[in-house]
Amino acid sequence: MIIVKDLHKTFENNHVLRGIHYHVHQGEKIVVVGPSGSGKSTFLRCLNLLETPTRGEIWFDGQLITDPKTSINKVREHMGMVFQNFNLFNNLTIMENITLAPTKLKIMSKEEASENALQLLQRVGLAEKADAYPGQLSGGQKQRIAIVRSLAMNPRVMLFDEPTSALDPEMVGEVLDVMKGLAESGMTMVVVTHEMGFAREVGTKVLFMDEGIIMEENEPAEFFNHPKCERLQEFLSKVL
Amino acid sequence: MTEWFAKVEKLFTAAFITKDRWKLYFEGLGVTLEIAFFAAILGMIIGTVIALMKLSTTRNGKKTVLTVIANIYIDIIRGTPSVLQLLIMWFVIMKNSKNGVLIAVLSFGINSGAYVAEIVRAGILAVDNGQMEAGRSLGLSKAQTMCYIVLPQAVKNVLPPIGNEFIVLLKETAIVGYVSLTDLTRTANQISSRTYDAFMPLIGAAVIYFVVIKILTILLAQLERGLRKGDNR
Repeated sequence: MIIVKDLHKTFENNHVLRGIHYHVHQGEKIVVVGPSGSGKSTFLRCLNLLETPTRGEIWFDGQLITDPKTSINKVREHMGMVFQNFNLFNNLTIMENITLAPTKLKIMSKEEASENALQLLQRVGLAEKADAYPGQLSGGQKQRIAIVRSLAMNPRVMLFDEPTSALDPEMVGEVLDVMKGLAESGMTMVVVTHEMGFAREVGTKVLFMDEGIIMEENEPAEFFNHPKCERLQEFLSKVL
Repeated sequence: MTEWFAKVEKLFTAAFITKDRWKLYFEGLGVTLEIAFFAAILGMIIGTVIALMKLSTTRNGKKTVLTVIANIYIDIIRGTPSVLQLLIMWFVIMKNSKNGVLIAVLSFGINSGAYVAEIVRAGILAVDNGQMEAGRSLGLSKAQTMCYIVLPQAVKNVLPPIGNEFIVLLKETAIVGYVSLTDLTRTANQISSRTYDAFMPLIGAAVIYFVVIKILTILLAQLERGLRKGDNR
């Protein structure tokens, strides 16, 4: 579904990604872990071109999205993204946050979008917040809304950029629960996170990134119980 | 003491009452407000466009030719006195036009636009970049995200300095006396030369400016409070 070939990204003189090759298949839940500065967020942000790769190719559903001629806005309609800092639109109500993109992009009528939004809100238990503003919500609530906002576009894949890192510890669970539910529903997901429990439980593949490359990839049980490369063993000994 | 009062009363009468002179002040004020109002609107439009031009980037994040144009505009306008700009507009660019107020509106609007542009640019930059990224990640274009998400938030940021700019603009229109438009300041000046008393007309005009700007300040404060409703950040 997503094929990444020889992906490089350089900021000024900082070579962040040094040749990433990967293939995400439909329905997989890829969890990316690694020390900070390893390039995992940059990798994720390259997938929907929030960062423009310096070199390499990214294919999404058979379309070369790194080609400048590709309409990136159209591609992004099918790739949801959830950010570390939620990034809810502060000037809009929760309902408007969710319905803005589907209506402005003429994917749904206003009524359809509202109905769809209410259903999604019910799914995450926040239907009563439809008319609230983001400033009135807790971090966990904001992140659940952010997930709903992405889902409202009916994406084919969901990207999560450290979705629980900015949350108070007691709110991490509610967000992870929503993500688990989403995983069970069959959504293809790429998740950058520090939540090893989530990686082990939900991931179909776990990737370890360091120094701008994928150092190791494996199924969760193998990945955590029998790490092969030394850097990963060291990393796991610190975080587990 | 009574003598002093009698003298003040005489001057006051000469400055404001005789020949219904108070009407002249309000006619002058009308010219001042007309120029300031339309120049402010023009300045806002030009300023927003210039700010967006200055912030435009290519797909790779490079500057565009629009950025260069915007910078040249801002440099020229801020680098020359506004009186001179008015004189140039009056005697050079639009020397064939009879519509003095229009010339003044254009001149002040173009001038204000350069300052508003920098205010608006700062207001846009103060909106967290995550707002733009979130909009883009949903498939909205840069223009759509700017229009529905970033600019509405930027408006809140810029209201205090924009209010400041309006006040400066309103007072700066006093220089239209240079090109024989009869605004409030010029009216006061003309009356004082007729009554041989500078004190009453000039202080009178000053009081009128003060009251108008005080009212403007109150309205802006109310607007700001209205816009801040609903966000408890």
